[in-house]
Amino acid sequence: MALIEARGVTKRFGGLAAVSEVSFDLQDGEILGLIGPNGSGKTTLVNVISGALPYSGGEVRFQGDSLRGLPPYAIGRLGVSRTFQIVKPFRNLTVVENVMVGALFGAHGGARALAVARHRAEEVLDFVSLTHRAGAAADGLNVPERKRMELARALAMRPTVLFLDEVMAGLNPSEIDAAVALIKQIRDRGTTLVVIEHVMKAIRDLSDRILVLFHGEKLTEGPPREVLNNPDVVSAYLGRRYAEQSGA
Amino acid sequence: MRLPSRRVPTVAGALVVAALALAPWGLSPFLVQFLINLFMLAALAESWNIIGGFTGYASFGNVAFFGIGAYTTAVLLTAAAWPFALALPAGGLLAMAFAGLIGMPILRLKGHYFAIATLGVAETMREIVYNLKITGGGTGLTMPITRSPLPFFYLMLAILVAATLVNWWLSASRFGYGLIAIREDEDAAMAMGINTALYKTAAFALSGAFAGLVGGVFAYWITFIDPEGVFRVIVTIQMIIMAVFGGMGTVVGPLLGALVLASVSELLSTQLVSLAELFNGLIVILVVLFMPKGLAEVISKREFSLKKLARNLREYGV
Amino acid sequence: MTSHHLLFLLMSLIWGVMNIVNIAHGALIMLGAYVTFWLFTLWGWDPFVSLPATIALLFVYGYCLQRFLLNLIVRAQLFLTLLITFGVEVVMVNLVRIFWSSDLRQVTPTYAGANFAVGAITIPYVRLWVFVTTAILSVLFLLVLEKTRLGRAIRATSEELRAARLTGIPVAHIYAVTFGLGAALAGAAGGLWGMLFPITPIMGGALTLKSFVMAVLGGLGTMMGAIVGGLVLGLAESFTATYLGPTYPNAISFGLLVLILILRPTGIVGRRA
Repeated sequence: MALIEARGVTKRFGGLAAVSEVSFDLQDGEILGLIGPNGSGKTTLVNVISGALPYSGGEVRFQGDSLRGLPPYAIGRLGVSRTFQIVKPFRNLTVVENVMVGALFGAHGGARALAVARHRAEEVLDFVSLTHRAGAAADGLNVPERKRMELARALAMRPTVLFLDEVMAGLNPSEIDAAVALIKQIRDRGTTLVVIEHVMKAIRDLSDRILVLFHGEKLTEGPPREVLNNPDVVSAYLGRRYAEQSGA
Repeated sequence: MRLPSRRVPTVAGALVVAALALAPWGLSPFLVQFLINLFMLAALAESWNIIGGFTGYASFGNVAFFGIGAYTTAVLLTAAAWPFALALPAGGLLAMAFAGLIGMPILRLKGHYFAIATLGVAETMREIVYNLKITGGGTGLTMPITRSPLPFFYLMLAILVAATLVNWWLSASRFGYGLIAIREDEDAAMAMGINTALYKTAAFALSGAFAGLVGGVFAYWITFIDPEGVFRVIVTIQMIIMAVFGGMGTVVGPLLGALVLASVSELLSTQLVSLAELFNGLIVILVVLFMPKGLAEVISKREFSLKKLARNLREYGV
Repeated sequence: MTSHHLLFLLMSLIWGVMNIVNIAHGALIMLGAYVTFWLFTLWGWDPFVSLPATIALLFVYGYCLQRFLLNLIVRAQLFLTLLITFGVEVVMVNLVRIFWSSDLRQVTPTYAGANFAVGAITIPYVRLWVFVTTAILSVLFLLVLEKTRLGRAIRATSEELRAARLTGIPVAHIYAVTFGLGAALAGAAGGLWGMLFPITPIMGGALTLKSFVMAVLGGLGTMMGAIVGGLVLGLAESFTATYLGPTYPNAISFGLLVLILILRPTGIVGRRA
């Protein structure tokens, strides 16, 4: 049984289908890359799976249990976490307090005691190399630090599955390399990952498999080398004419 | 918000409470009454702080719970001849239950809809009480007179201490972190595993419980209540502005706010209720313009210069 | 629907273009009532004739209030805007109480008692003229909003601040004009109200809520909403007064407010947020 089984997930807004009949499996321990041009429905798909938006159709099972209809907090408690594309820091708290919230309320209800949560938070901050900013106010961080804090918060929840939504947006190349290394470490520690990204080099490096969305539908899925050279994928991103011109 | 070391505030707080407990023997009756009023306002400010300061849902109608507590206690005292020791907790309980029940649908609202809804609840409560026979309608209810103000002094003090302790607990507990997360970013809080609906409603109920208890003591203390005198909008404004002035979301802020504002109000006002209310209104305007984050923030950041105050205005103005 | 229900409608029309909730709205109505009263009592100005003066005065007052006070914190959290209008309300009401006392006032021109008959019903002339004036003012306001450049600017600013700024609309000024218009309408409504009911400093509180009820019932931010809300509330209150008794209408209308906010916060007509 796959860790996550999505079947026919559909989300409509009025007459427009933002996500249409998307099905996929997520195997335990893998990194699944989720790519597609802007507006292809990637974040909407994550929103539906994580409970932030209601389904229009379809079904998602996590370890055999249905996630459909559960509120976001229940899904988080089951062990499925996500980060937000536009980060949502708790501005009036410090960095470590932000991460503590994740530790206090994460998978299986999180830690009950503040001291335990703080300890976990400090561990996570060390893992993402943010310890030096632990006591800083959350709204005083720069872009890469903010992304790492967002990641740390989700990690503190000790998720089984983690959806990362464009954590590398706004990072420079060396920061991207660091992020890739970090994400691999997260997988090595036992978390299964779905990574939404636009940075192709990173996706190629990270993913065991890639799922491509286009206009809300699954275009194709498979190993990186296959998918990224697929002419349909190229034309989806760059337009049909480019694909024809470059003879892909 | 750093996790506070608990020892110094605990000792200081205990000392203050002990000193206050001895106060009636050293102070004039006038001052004792002033203190009872001060405890009442501070307790209301602390109770509002739970839902407004920590959870970020600024209710403009908490006087409804105050009134429910007052009237429940009063009705049980007079019509059902309950002893006060039972009537008071009943008032608090009913206020809490009502807050919890009405909170469930109302807390789903955001922004100004929530504000109007809470205002509407308070106004509706007053009208309902006005129309019921059991509450004495427009004529009000009269309580048996107690000769000494001491029981009320200690009761109000006890409620104030309890409300402050709850706030203190909130500032460093899992539940409190949950509330703060809701205030800061409700969607993120939900995604991180917090049952926001439950937490918000619980906070609202807690807030209502304390307001109700205060109301119950108030009713017996003042011996006569009527809808116009109990469900007064100025009560809500006072509890809000005291919390904001002192620093909403902090433990000590509402206390500071109550102390400063009640004292100044007492010094300024003569017999005129309108002067006292006018003062409150002006304070509201000034605080919102110049120190919206409250005294606690002003002191901690030492933002005393006019330049800093002006910066505030530029940041928020159009 | 009686004339005072139409007055409620006049009071709530401004909510069609104001996205903020002004808790001092009732105080503005009250001020209009007092202005009309003093113009009548001190200088003998007929209340209908003095209405333009009341409107002008309240417009200036509202404009200044927004321009020099409320504009200062417009972009702060909503809570602060609500709180400050609360403060303004308290200040206004208490200033009136201090300077003009809490005694009940009423505007009673010489023709106050005159009636005319329509079939079996006698209607006071005053009521009729209040009804007509209210209707005229409402239509005028709607025309200004729909047909004039100013009206377009007001609507644009209320709907999409950033876009309005980009098209060169002087936002601070337009906000103030919008608020001023709202104050003017409130003042007019207050002046007319004062001919039907006693005037007190605290008359505004219930009226603020009533106008909210109407606006919310219909839907904040839409003109049609304010109108629909006004009609629904008027009917509800009439029925309640007739079948339950005169002290119930307030309870019902506030209860309705809470109910509609719970069941359908965007109102009967309003767009889903």
